[in-house]
Amino acid sequence: MTATIGIDVGGTFTDFVLAAAGRLTHHKEPTRVDTPAEGVADGIAALLRVSDTPPDAVARVVHGTTLGLNALLQRRGARVALVVSRGFGDMLELGRGDLPNSYDYKAPKPVAAVPRERVLEVGARLRPDGGVVLRPDAAELDALAARLRALEVGGIAVSVLNAYLHPALEDEVADALAQRLPGVAMTRAARLWPEIREYERTLVAVLNAMVQPLLDRYYAELERRIGALGVRARLDITTSSGGSMSAANARGRPVDTLLSGPASGAYAAARIASEAGIDRLVAIDMGGTSSDLTLALDGRLAIAHETKLGDFPLMLPAVDMRAIGAGGGSIVWRDAEGVLKVGPRSAGAEPGPVCYKRGGTEPTLTDCFLVAGFIDGERFLGGRIKLACDAATRALAALGFASAEHAAAAALRIATSRMAAEIGKAFARAGHDPRRFTLMPYGGAGPLVATALAEAMGIASIIVPASPATFCALGAALADARRDLARSRRIRIGVDADAGPALAASVAGMEREALAWAADEGGSPRLAVGADMQYPRTAAVLEIAVPEAIWRAGDAAALAEAFHRAHEAAYGFRDAASAIDVTTLRLTVTCPRTPLMQDWVMQARVMKDRAETASATADRRRRVFWRERWLDCAVGAREALAGEHVVSGPAIIEQNDTTTWIAPGWHARLDVLGNLRLARDGGDG
Amino acid sequence: MAELDPVTLEILNSQFAAAAEEMALTLKRCARSLYVKESTDFGVALVAIDGRLFATPRGYGSASFAHDCTTTIAAVRELEDGDVIITNHPYASGGLVSHTPDLTLIRPYFHAGRIVAYGYDYIHSTDVGGKVPSSISPTSTEVFQEGLLIPPMKLRRAGRPNVDVIELFRANVRTPDLNLHDLDAMLAALDIGARRVERLIAEHGVETFLAGQQAILAYAARKARAALRRIPDGSWDFWDYMDDDALSGVPIRFRVRVTIEDGRVHLDFTGSDPQVAAAYNLPTLGLRHPWLTARIAHFVITHDPSAPLNAGLLDSVTVEVPRGSVLNPEFPAATGVRHAAGYRLNDAVVGALAQAVPHDVPAPSGGTMVPVVLAENDAQTGARNVLVLNAVIVGSGARFGSDGYDGIDGSISSIRNTPAEKSELEAAIDILEYGLRQDSAGAGRWRGGLGLRFAFRVRQPGSYVLGRGLERFRFRPWGMAGGRAGARTRVILNPGTPGERELGKIDMVALADGDVVKFLTPGGGGCGDPFERDVEAVLRDVVSGFVSAACAERDYGVVIHADRVDAAATAARRAARPTVDTMRFDFGAERELWDSVFTDDAMNAFVAALLPLRGNLRTAKRIAVLERIVPGITGPGTGEVSKLLPDPAPQHAEFVAAVERLSRT
Repeated sequence: MTATIGIDVGGTFTDFVLAAAGRLTHHKEPTRVDTPAEGVADGIAALLRVSDTPPDAVARVVHGTTLGLNALLQRRGARVALVVSRGFGDMLELGRGDLPNSYDYKAPKPVAAVPRERVLEVGARLRPDGGVVLRPDAAELDALAARLRALEVGGIAVSVLNAYLHPALEDEVADALAQRLPGVAMTRAARLWPEIREYERTLVAVLNAMVQPLLDRYYAELERRIGALGVRARLDITTSSGGSMSAANARGRPVDTLLSGPASGAYAAARIASEAGIDRLVAIDMGGTSSDLTLALDGRLAIAHETKLGDFPLMLPAVDMRAIGAGGGSIVWRDAEGVLKVGPRSAGAEPGPVCYKRGGTEPTLTDCFLVAGFIDGERFLGGRIKLACDAATRALAALGFASAEHAAAAALRIATSRMAAEIGKAFARAGHDPRRFTLMPYGGAGPLVATALAEAMGIASIIVPASPATFCALGAALADARRDLARSRRIRIGVDADAGPALAASVAGMEREALAWAADEGGSPRLAVGADMQYPRTAAVLEIAVPEAIWRAGDAAALAEAFHRAHEAAYGFRDAASAIDVTTLRLTVTCPRTPLMQDWVMQARVMKDRAETASATADRRRRVFWRERWLDCAVGAREALAGEHVVSGPAIIEQNDTTTWIAPGWHARLDVLGNLRLARDGGDG
Repeated sequence: MAELDPVTLEILNSQFAAAAEEMALTLKRCARSLYVKESTDFGVALVAIDGRLFATPRGYGSASFAHDCTTTIAAVRELEDGDVIITNHPYASGGLVSHTPDLTLIRPYFHAGRIVAYGYDYIHSTDVGGKVPSSISPTSTEVFQEGLLIPPMKLRRAGRPNVDVIELFRANVRTPDLNLHDLDAMLAALDIGARRVERLIAEHGVETFLAGQQAILAYAARKARAALRRIPDGSWDFWDYMDDDALSGVPIRFRVRVTIEDGRVHLDFTGSDPQVAAAYNLPTLGLRHPWLTARIAHFVITHDPSAPLNAGLLDSVTVEVPRGSVLNPEFPAATGVRHAAGYRLNDAVVGALAQAVPHDVPAPSGGTMVPVVLAENDAQTGARNVLVLNAVIVGSGARFGSDGYDGIDGSISSIRNTPAEKSELEAAIDILEYGLRQDSAGAGRWRGGLGLRFAFRVRQPGSYVLGRGLERFRFRPWGMAGGRAGARTRVILNPGTPGERELGKIDMVALADGDVVKFLTPGGGGCGDPFERDVEAVLRDVVSGFVSAACAERDYGVVIHADRVDAAATAARRAARPTVDTMRFDFGAERELWDSVFTDDAMNAFVAALLPLRGNLRTAKRIAVLERIVPGITGPGTGEVSKLLPDPAPQHAEFVAAVERLSRT
């Protein structure tokens, strides 16, 4: 027997999933903010105990964490210095010259990633063709090293203008500094992410240097503690693009893992949807403080090449997730004009909703779910937390509506219509029609609002997976090894005589790097190549998938035709006479990791959850306040659902990590993979 | 109209805004031109049946919720389902369009045979014809030079294209394919708006949808009024200048009196200069135009970020703009570069507000924005290659409690800079520096944000640099509440060489192979007494290179040697200085001198005497009088004020006499 363990260290809870022999075991522990590695090791020990798994049966531990991200957001990263080309020392201060909100002139002043006094200029710079304009001599490098030594930094990022295609000069500077400053970690921007745009590329290097010492120590401690449990498995780390890599590789590129937690959840959603034969998926994660959305077409997650990391633009590929509004902790209130509002403030984990009785006094959406009857205060999270319905009722009644339940229903309508509006924007941005999509809610509260969201969006089909609240850990366990590479090189097809050979040579260089990485990771690599292309000096950049036959042969004409066709599809015409620019080539290498997905999902049907759900099999009834009146609803345990049994709304299906609300006009049944499928009455679902 | 319940109102609030945002996202996704994709110079809205914008996007496109579509809609009779109105005519559109490149569409949305709303969008089009590529130049003197004029007419009739209009348009513009494609993107956005309106009516019913338009406008109005009540009752005057009007060397004055009464705001622009010959006129038609009210809107949104972005925000604002003013020009005055006027008039509005609520508004930014354009011969093809190297912007003003943003202008922050690596790939240049300009910001307890330095070297002969419309060469961005004014703009050829030369206000400059051009822009104005600035903050600025040690000592009273504060010397220096008036503005010596000759009273009388004159005569008379009193002003960009006004007292007397003569005739 071999087992895989997936772990997600969140801000409040750490989730664990153990997958072995067609069976999933879940476990949850509060996150220990000060000693996270210890908390993870204790959680693994507990997980092995409850699943009755011997430590030596574990083949792989896949771990995702937001430790690095949080350190950056709270400016707790390592003290680093940046060395940049002369004339560009203010690069981090300037950024791209834009602000998040141009209306609000009291918005706080942006803070650069590295303070200006630790950014040093060096006489090193190139032309785009690799020609050297400035090269530092030994004396300048000595002086630079002396200044860096005096700054007492834990890491140095080096970035030379135009080095993205010609890294030698940047290497020369970094090597010279490394020699003079032994023991100081050096991040080379052009080696880390050789894409054009000096600010964004430099920032990637700076962020990498800032999180490296922290994550290095953390991974080392984690490996030691896991080893001490008798687990001989290798440690893998999840990445922002929904993949994973060995801890050894992650130590060199920790910046690739910063957004890994939510990415893993989205990855699990895409995998499960793909297994279930869903080709157009909108996955919605509704958690405690906020909700996020991801789209997946044909099982492939939407990947963004520029995301936000707090204030910073991150040019690395990451699963394209969009915040769509409220979470369970969002506060319900009335403004000075008496208009009912939900959020943007959240009660968070502390003090939490009123019904948690931990000091919260302002009602939240979770209080609304409770008062309106959607969740059962006695059985919340499998009965581990008892919710105080009376306190929640008093808080909502104070809002001054006809009753507490009226206030709750109104707040839920506002929250779901706001989410639906945000979802509509995500579709408009991508240019898709939501009516052809299936909705997958996950996170603790997602399945409660799914039918209302689907109705607002015109979506006819919903899929609720087996354990929606521990998706990020499941996604970690499922993740393939994955590395994304990019290389900027302008190839002007139709003008450059060597466009074809340049294309072939560029991709071949990336292929070599990818294959070496894959050999190190282990597994059989699969390559996918893409190219950012545009008509020169237009703003419509399209990412074109490049088939292997084209890049191996350097068939520039075929690539040009692929772009013309894509431009026609997107904009309705082609400019056949125009040259075409390839600006950046992209390559993704994946090594499939997981065994048959179906084995894992199948067992959800027969999942034996822990003891507290044993009583849940009996059918019960509960009142739910829906559309201005109380409805008498059937309440069933998800574990008790069988075969072709159809549950008609209004009804509630409970499980130990979430509750699914089936609105009137909807019905639900299990599919062969154990997913709960909801469809509108009269539809073909 | 029935009041909506507070739940439906909040639901409509998010649904209306999201519908507008979906329109904006669709337009941005479908468009191809750089203005739309990179500079987000476009706007969309849902318009109520009374012509007011009731829903606009938050964070997508330019803020334009104060527009009024009434005139444009009324100009086209007998609207039917599927019609789309097009216009780019600043005057015939009733001020809806402010310059000709802003192609504007309005589509009526029908339900059960009647109009229930309109969709509106505009984009800054790459070119609409006229005397120069991209259609706008400061030196245009009539709107006819600024491209094809399209009065409100039907681009589509009942869903079918009006081919005649399209062919006429195609024949008159330099980039027809790009333009027509962007028009398609605009139509696609209006389609999305139509579908969202249908869905909203299906969900809420048509009566609730119509009531909701007015309710959301009223809701915004109530919130705005509450925010504006932060400003005490009273009346405050302020004025500011543009360096010159591009055709002469005479500055343009923008004057405002802001009067507040119980959260009602009246903006009286009487005393602003008459319309100018150059393309700096802002065609407001005397209405409550978004450019006149932008700072009031920002004030409201800053103090109540939850307010819906719609025309209701300005319900309690009224304006007075005399006809014939640079802010209410008469047809056919050119308007292409009206944003330069908009920039400065808003500085004047802020100056008035700063007297009422000094803790609540920021000092002005560096006050100029210009794309630095290079024209060169393409090395590969030999073709003429014209491209924007970077947008040269300024630092933001300080405000009570916070320094200004360095190298970022908070008032135009939707435009991103261009990476040097991209510019170098497209042109044969080396960008030598792109960073913050030391000592450029107004000193203060909170200093202004620093301006920029941007320098490049050309690597082949036959190149030209263009930087049209640069400002703040003559008058500085002022400081407030005891804070100091920022530095002035400079453009230098071959700095640090024997051939170094100040280029001043450039239009188009021919460059030799190897020439270096350096742009230095102003920082924002400071706020509060600089001698009260935290010593550690001054030290940090010096260590970072943002402020020189000399400036730290002179302006801040902080003595720093080798990155260390000399505490004793600092204490002595700070103690030795008299306290400053914390209500005081610092305009810089140049403007103090100018204002001593051209006093407010005399200028107001001068403008009042000029306004009754007819169009061109009014403009010509103004220049003639001022050029006589200031003989040194021979052309745009000429002259230090101290050299222009060597004898301020006699020159003032001469001006007063001239105004009296003019007033009698």
